[in-house]
Amino acid sequence: MKNSIVILLLILLSALLIFSFDFIPEQEIVVDSTAEHIITKGLQETGSLNLVTAILYDYRAFDSMGESTVIFATVSAIVLLLSFKTLPVSSQGLSFIVKNTFGFLAPFIFLFGLYVITHGHLSPGGGFQGGVILGTISIILSIVYGSAYDYRKYPPKTKTLLETGGALLFLFIGGLGLVLKGHFLANVNPLINEPGRLISAGVIPYINIGIGFKIGAGLAIIFYSMIQKTYVEEELKS
Amino acid sequence: MLIREIISYLLMGAGGVFAIITVIGLIRFPDVYIRIHAAAVVLTISAVLVTFGVAVYVWELFLSTKIILIGLFFLISNPMATHSIARSSYQQKVALPRVRSVDEYADYLERGEK
Repeated sequence: MKNSIVILLLILLSALLIFSFDFIPEQEIVVDSTAEHIITKGLQETGSLNLVTAILYDYRAFDSMGESTVIFATVSAIVLLLSFKTLPVSSQGLSFIVKNTFGFLAPFIFLFGLYVITHGHLSPGGGFQGGVILGTISIILSIVYGSAYDYRKYPPKTKTLLETGGALLFLFIGGLGLVLKGHFLANVNPLINEPGRLISAGVIPYINIGIGFKIGAGLAIIFYSMIQKTYVEEELKS
Repeated sequence: MLIREIISYLLMGAGGVFAIITVIGLIRFPDVYIRIHAAAVVLTISAVLVTFGVAVYVWELFLSTKIILIGLFFLISNPMATHSIARSSYQQKVALPRVRSVDEYADYLERGEK
């Protein structure tokens, strides 16, 4: 009895969804002109030179928030499975030459990551890509200097703080759009609305920064949890 | 204008020749360590020459600076990587050299173990 009512309701709802397109007033916009609209008016509406970033963080920003939630869930699951407590102490690392060379190169890699993040609305790149570059630094540090060094310099608590901070920044900007302009993740308050400047395109650069730190810290946490597991297994073997 | 293009083509051509020499060395040399020698020395100089040639060809301040930075990165990172590969493959005894008359690194490792 109960099941049949639910099935009836579902059939009604799906019929409504199927025929809902018939009730839309006929316009030219409906059929396959979304791409054209974005290409011709994307720069005016969002102020972002990079149209891919405009789609990711303005037209479909809700999608990007879902993706970052997926990464958050992945990190949480991996940390839950491979717990924080069994920490490895490997302070040996690679040879003298590799340590010094990487110590020389690391700030430049950090700068490049920041460049890719902050210029996401001007040139190819953006939060996800720059975040991966930032995460690489922590990974190479724990390979080159030994994971104990990486643990001392960037403890997992800092990384967790960065990750949640990035996610919260994204949500805060979304809420700001809701308060100031009336819908979630609206492109509010462009300080300088002149396309091509570093500070332009409304809230897109700030979303980029949040996503970048979130992805970098998340990748570093995933890598760290995995190596501590393998390290313990190697210890047991020998 | 024309002289600049000729210089850039010469640099890029020299880089290409060095790259071909690298490939020949990688195929023809008998041992892991000698092959790494080819990859470290000749490939580095070929990459640096090609990037500098491109920088001369473009000849614009910011673009050329970026390309030269990429070349300097090759100059630092490629010897470091090959050094690390050779060292760890000797330490883990993945591939020991077939013929050796002088082997000071083995003495060093034995001293380190004592």
